[in-house]
Amino acid sequence: MDIIVNILSMTIPFSVALLLASIGEMFNQRSGVFNLGCEGIMAMGAFVGMLVPFMVGHGGAVGQGWNWLGLLLAALTGALLGLFFAVIVVTFRAPQGIAGIGMQMFGVGTAGTLFRHFVGGTQSIPGMQNTPVPLLCDIPVIGTIFFSHNLVVYLAFIFVPVAWYILFKTSWGLRVRAVGTHPRAADTMGINVNRTRYEALALGGALAGLAGAYLSVCQVKMFSDDLIAGRGFIAVALVYFGHWHPVKIMLGALLFSFAQTIQYNVQGLGINIPYEFFVMLPYVVVIIVLAFTSRNQTTSPAALGKPFNREIRT
Amino acid sequence: MKKLLTVLVVLFVLAPLAVFASGASEASGAEADGQYKVALIIENTIDDRGWCQSMHDGILGAMEALPGKIHYEYSERMTTVDAESIARQYIADGFDLIIAHGSQYRNMVSDLAAEFPDVSFAFGTSSDIIADNVFTYMPESEETGYLSGLIAGLLTKTDNIGLVGPVDSGDAARYNRGFILGVEAVNPDAAVNVAYTGSFSDYVRSAELATTQILAGADVLTGSSQQAIGAMRACAEYDDVLWVGQDIAQFETPEGQAKCVAASAYNYTAVVVGLIESLDEGVTGGVCIPMNFNNGGFIFEYNSALSDVVTDEIRAAVDEAISQFTASAGVLSNWADVQI
Repeated sequence: MDIIVNILSMTIPFSVALLLASIGEMFNQRSGVFNLGCEGIMAMGAFVGMLVPFMVGHGGAVGQGWNWLGLLLAALTGALLGLFFAVIVVTFRAPQGIAGIGMQMFGVGTAGTLFRHFVGGTQSIPGMQNTPVPLLCDIPVIGTIFFSHNLVVYLAFIFVPVAWYILFKTSWGLRVRAVGTHPRAADTMGINVNRTRYEALALGGALAGLAGAYLSVCQVKMFSDDLIAGRGFIAVALVYFGHWHPVKIMLGALLFSFAQTIQYNVQGLGINIPYEFFVMLPYVVVIIVLAFTSRNQTTSPAALGKPFNREIRT
Repeated sequence: MKKLLTVLVVLFVLAPLAVFASGASEASGAEADGQYKVALIIENTIDDRGWCQSMHDGILGAMEALPGKIHYEYSERMTTVDAESIARQYIADGFDLIIAHGSQYRNMVSDLAAEFPDVSFAFGTSSDIIADNVFTYMPESEETGYLSGLIAGLLTKTDNIGLVGPVDSGDAARYNRGFILGVEAVNPDAAVNVAYTGSFSDYVRSAELATTQILAGADVLTGSSQQAIGAMRACAEYDDVLWVGQDIAQFETPEGQAKCVAASAYNYTAVVVGLIESLDEGVTGGVCIPMNFNNGGFIFEYNSALSDVVTDEIRAAVDEAISQFTASAGVLSNWADVQI
């Protein structure tokens, strides 16, 4: 029983970075732009997020407010990088795949360079402390699994229905879906396609930056050049996995983290199977699920990856 | 408008180059007579508190031990794909010794050694002799692992010990098996929970793995390579959990001060001094340099901030083991028999 509780209680906080980044990427893709640079934006967010509490506390304890400021600035940095990406792919209409790879390299490289300049070697911070929910955290099993985490975990999961509401119940969400599905028709209806894509990329960038900062401020509480280690690309895959729907994306993030946590635990059981099998298990699970669900792609944004030029009829 | 945006984008990309561009050299000035130009190629950074930093520190130590003898430059974050380009640049610049710090550089070193027989190369960990102008070095890390195992076995109250490894190969495999031998020597009842991240540098996964082991009851953990920093950071979140390190640089971190009871380290100064002395004698390679306590290749320290948790029993066990290792190499020759 203990092992099951441990697996489930770790699954939730371990999934948050993927959840935030993939919800952000969902907004990008819903507007017709896929951003492979998510990894780079996460790296910049991770750096900026830890820089604030580190500079204030010189590596020592700081008030929780400084951690929140770090998270806020990380989101802001992510938004700015999202806008920078928008300049390249929306205004300049550069190929999105190539630009995304460039953004990934730019973000990871710049974060590493700035980190070395302002901080130095691999460095930790006290980071965000857990905030168990009063009363609820005392419920056996349930309390440990759901109500014993830091505040960002709760907020990230609360954001899932908020993202659903924004996307499906607001006029802005409708505009985002319109420019991602049929930008020509949206333009005809008076929607400013480029502006909407800029806004979606800024929001997606902010969430990617926040996801990176979650790792450096709330989860691992440290920064290094390799901190993100491919999680930005997994976030992009989870958007396809979740069919561009926030709730399904959340389930995908939870499934990936669940598989990851299971392999951590199973490795310790002494089962005579090469450890490489366990390490690759979460990725295999995602690939298998993608393979079985890829036939149902009717919800994919029809204009995904296609630059919009209102002067050229397509 | 588009031209203005183009200029802004270019400036945005190039600005960091102008602000942060700097050389990566630890010695300047013209090459003096008898001075060797030594280059280091590493996949991480010189301050990663792990594998790469230990070699960088070793070269700096050799520069102190041999004043004026070494002109040193380094290149960080060199993947196996990129490394050959920078290695060729060093060769073109007349470097005498190129240290490619990692067994992943083996093929590159092998190719370049054949093409440039007048240049010496070194890489590790490996005990293979691949060319007359290639040195290799092999840390016999089962010795450092054994010391860590002794400490962990005597410290644990739950008889549940965690080991967060990167991959099961090279010196990490030796460390892990030595660790298990150490635990078994002092506490046969203790279980060692061995798990791998599959990466030398994924700090997040290392922290997650450590957290999982702690929740499963582990109260003393260890780990090797730079990824272990993440696991040590995870230990700092729990009051009753301690860490035994594989790099003394871990003491320099706040969580290392609070949690790392003791650590061993590779003393690459001895290796680099040995390489320079070999070059002085006209030996340009074809030699494997083992690293162990016997030849000064390892050092061991307790964390003075945690001296109260180190019992006399621990000190006695460690002292005895170190004296055995120092007296002769190969004491733990059965390390490979340990099944994980």
